[in-house]
Formats: sequence, C-alpha cells, structure tokens
Amino acid sequence: MKNKIPGFLLCTPVQAHDAQERVTLRSSYIEKGIGHLSEMITTGYLNVGQESGKGFFQKLDPRVKVIFLIFFVVIVSLKRHIFPEVAIALFVFLLVALSRINLAQFYKKIVGLTFVFGFLVVFPSAFNIVTPGQLVLPVITLSQPYEFIIYHIPEEIGITRQGIDGVMMLCLRMMNSLAISLLVIYTTPFHRIIRALQVFRVPPALLLVITLSYKYIFIFAKTIEDMYFARKSRLVGMVKDSEARIWVAGRIAHMFRKAMSRYEEVFRAMVARGFAEEVRLSNIGKLTAVDLLSGGFFLLVGIFLLWM
Amino acid sequence: MADIIQIDDVSYAYHDNIPALSRVSMSISEGEIFAVIGSNGCGKSTLLHIMNGLIYPPSGRVYFQGKKVSEDALRDRAFLKFFRSSVGHVFQDSDVHLFCPTVFDELMFGPLQLGLSQEEASGRVREIMAMLEISHLKDRPPYMLSGGEKKRVAIGSILTMNPRLLLLDEPMNGLDPRTKSFLIELMILLNNAGKTLVIATHDLALISELRCRVAVLSEDHRVEKIGTADEILQDEDLLLRVNLIHEHVHYHGNNAHIHIHSHYLFHRHDEKPDVVDS
Repeated sequence: MKNKIPGFLLCTPVQAHDAQERVTLRSSYIEKGIGHLSEMITTGYLNVGQESGKGFFQKLDPRVKVIFLIFFVVIVSLKRHIFPEVAIALFVFLLVALSRINLAQFYKKIVGLTFVFGFLVVFPSAFNIVTPGQLVLPVITLSQPYEFIIYHIPEEIGITRQGIDGVMMLCLRMMNSLAISLLVIYTTPFHRIIRALQVFRVPPALLLVITLSYKYIFIFAKTIEDMYFARKSRLVGMVKDSEARIWVAGRIAHMFRKAMSRYEEVFRAMVARGFAEEVRLSNIGKLTAVDLLSGGFFLLVGIFLLWM
Repeated sequence: MADIIQIDDVSYAYHDNIPALSRVSMSISEGEIFAVIGSNGCGKSTLLHIMNGLIYPPSGRVYFQGKKVSEDALRDRAFLKFFRSSVGHVFQDSDVHLFCPTVFDELMFGPLQLGLSQEEASGRVREIMAMLEISHLKDRPPYMLSGGEKKRVAIGSILTMNPRLLLLDEPMNGLDPRTKSFLIELMILLNNAGKTLVIATHDLALISELRCRVAVLSEDHRVEKIGTADEILQDEDLLLRVNLIHEHVHYHGNNAHIHIHSHYLFHRHDEKPDVVDS
C-alpha cells in the first residue's frame, strides 16, 4: 500500500470556520422524524428500563398482574357512574405511588393521551345537538331550530349537564384503563407479561412469535438510529424533503432485506439449539404468599367496586 | 501541536437512566493517534458519537479546534460544513455505515455532500478505491461484501471526504489477520499524512502496534487514566481493574499455573509462578 496514498489526502482539507456570518439551517421534517422514531420506540413504546425497581407492583408475579389488568379494565367498563370511576382512579393512584413510579411522568402521559384521544374526540357530544338535556352553558342562539340529517339542531346551542357527565365518564374510563395498563407495563418486563399469558392457555407458539417480534422492534429501532447517525455524520447541509424521501424509501427496502436474512439466521440458530416445530417455554414458577395475598386483596377491592 | 478536539467534563446517559459516560475530560492534539480503550459497554462508542456531534451531552462541553460543538452550533450552515468535512466517523457496524446502493455510490456520497463536482468526486473515489484495493467491488451492493471488504469501503467512504480527524469505532472487530495488518498499515500511513486518528477499541495489540496515547475508560464510565501506550500496557493493576486483562488458571501436567492473561497481548508466566499441585 506504500506510496499509494492519493495526493488530495495530503492537502489541508478545509479552511477554518469563519464565525462572522451565520446562516441557520432548518432540519427537514423527515430528517427529524427518522431521528425521533427510534427514540420514540425505545423510550415511549417500550419503556426501556422503567420496569426495574423495588416498588410494590414490581415484586408481584406477572400472572397476578395480568389477571388484575383484565379484571379491573372490565370493572372500569362496567361502571355507569362517575363516583366509582373516581374511586378506581384513586386506588390506581395509590398503587402507582406504592410502586415508586415517577407520578409526574406517569400522569403526564396519561393526561396527554386522554386529552388527545379521549376529550377532543368526545367533547362535541357535550353539546345539546348530540346529547339533549339541561342546558348549562349556552354558546350560540339561532333564529329558529333546524333538522339536519338525523340531528335536531335546537334554537339555542350549548353544553348540557348530561353531555358534561358523558364526557367526564368517557375520559375517566379512558384514564383509568390507561393507568391500569401502564401500571402493569411499567412494572413488568415485556417477556414476563407474555409468559404470564400462558395462564390463559394462549398457544406457546404465538407467545414465542410475539416475544421474537418484540425483540426485533428493539433491533429495528437501534438499526434505524445507527443508520441515521451514519448518514448525519456525512451530511454537510440541509437535505431536501424529496431527497430525504428517496433515502427513506431505500432504507425501507434495505431493512426489509435485512429482516429477511435476519429471520433466516434466527431460525437456523433456533434449529441448532434443538427447536423442532413444537415450542416449549420454561416454567414460570410458583406463586408466593405475597402474590396470593395481593391477588386476594385485588379481588376484594374489585368486588367492592362492582358493588358500589 | 494545538488541540483538535477537547472534551470537558462530559456526562451522558441513555434514556436518562442508563449511564454511558461520567465526567469525562480529555484533549487530543492535531496529528496524533489517540486510543480510547475499555471493556464492552464502558462508553467508547458514545464518546465517539459525542465527538462527532451526533448526540449532545446534557452536561459538559465539546470543542473542535477551539469552537464549541453543540446542537445550536451545528445549525449554522458554515460551521456544519466545516465540522462534517473535518471529522470522519467510521461506525463499528459496517452494515449501518453503508447505506448507498453500490460501493461507488457509497464513496461518492461524502464528496458530493461537500459540493465537489462529479469529476473531482469520482477522481477521489478512483484513487481511494485503488489505495484500499477495492476497485473490483465498484458496482457491488454493500450487503454483498465480506466483513473485511465492508470495513475497507466504510473507511473509503470517509477518506473521500478528506477529513482532518478520523473517528474509528472498533476498527479491528471481526476482521481476519491480513485485513487487520492492512488496516494498521493504513492508519499509520494516514497519520503520517497528517490525519488525527481517534480509535475506540479494546484491542490491546492494536495500541501496542500504534504506540499511541491512550485514555482508559472504566466500567463505571469514567476516565481511569490517560498515558502513553507503554505506560498503560505496563500498568497491569489498571488493566485488571478495567477488565481488559484477567487472571487465568491452566495446567501443565499436574501443575496449575495462575497468571495474568489477555487474548490480545499478554500470556506471560511470572518468574516464580504460583504452583498448585493437583
């Protein structure tokens, strides 16, 4: 290789940066999107590292937690009044606090999701066009009532007490269901949640597929992040959205090809370790006295809430 | 020589709760070879990502040729061009480093970003391909290359940009002996041509060959020591502490020998070895 070094490599690459003139670059939304995708997957969706800890819920067997999750989500859906929903919310709050989860972060996520996917969606139903009833906040007064398709538009449009009750009820249900689900997800590693589904006779083959898919999401997110960094380190200016789209399309094809070869390798590795069609998962272990007591306590609270 | 890059009291954690670097400080002079060594997961790759302005530490500062490298600074078009064309980063995993359809496109990507003409860029690419002995792979897609070929293409894709500073992340990982010696020769050649090299590695044989200055990162993500290759390699307590060498027991006949062992450099018996009759 000696004497083969190209002449341009021996030249001083670029002049020093002149700090006098500053032209600020704006990142393309696709560029930003790629970078944020893996962060969103790992921190938002997969909750990396948050399941660890020594709180109350972290110590429980995943089977107890999965049964708790289903039982309480059913209770949340069955209740027809605001007071029991508030009682459930307080009970879940207590469990979250006992599990030493960061309350601010936890409820920030729940309130945000409830506002976007709950409140904004159901808020129009608070008006007397959708929910007739006792008008508490008049908004517009029309010259006369109208009939529009199936809706009766009254002369005075506004928010009704029944409408507010309905919106509050739906938002509370959504908040409670989210809080219960996130409490279990935050305090249990994903593979243990999946393993716990064995108690519901979910076929082991399906559990294995879900576990492998979950693992692949991690690899996928990491690969996307690394590819984004590799490209970023060689970019010196702003990228047009059209160029970014072409690159993203190329990367999708690359990821698909990579996924194909990766699953073949994984399957070969499984075969090499004795996998032969039948999936056998390791035993999940016995329930402890704390698990049984906690399960019993949740059952009693659930029955009390159903009675309320 | 003036410092080309300076790291000042940098800490970094992934997802706010997985520590990667803890109060790391170091300065690297223009034209030197500098190695960052440490066991797996000690934060070497993270440090290189921070040096390359790919991630930004929440605490501490990074300077490139005396200018602060930050998210805000890299929004300045002129500084971004200056910085990206001055710093080349070869990633540990060549599969993520190589994202273009062919080897030729891969090597063209950087110079075209710098605003070079097609002719000048392709001239550089031809010269680099000849130097790295990959001209025959010109039209091959990167995923159809062997590990060693991918590494050569990855280095070539950076060299066509003619950076002052090369960040090499585990350059020897998974390569055969011939490719390794090719790369060591290349690194020395590039350094002689005036390039600054920062190498993240746990390969003690590599730093022994390059005789460079070395920073040792501990398993708790701190800088344990900075010194010459000789100083570091002779400090067995340090290498044991940071998990780069280990104590090893093996048998000669009925005698068990305990000695310090590294798969890279040491396999040495003490003058008076501990002998245990078995």
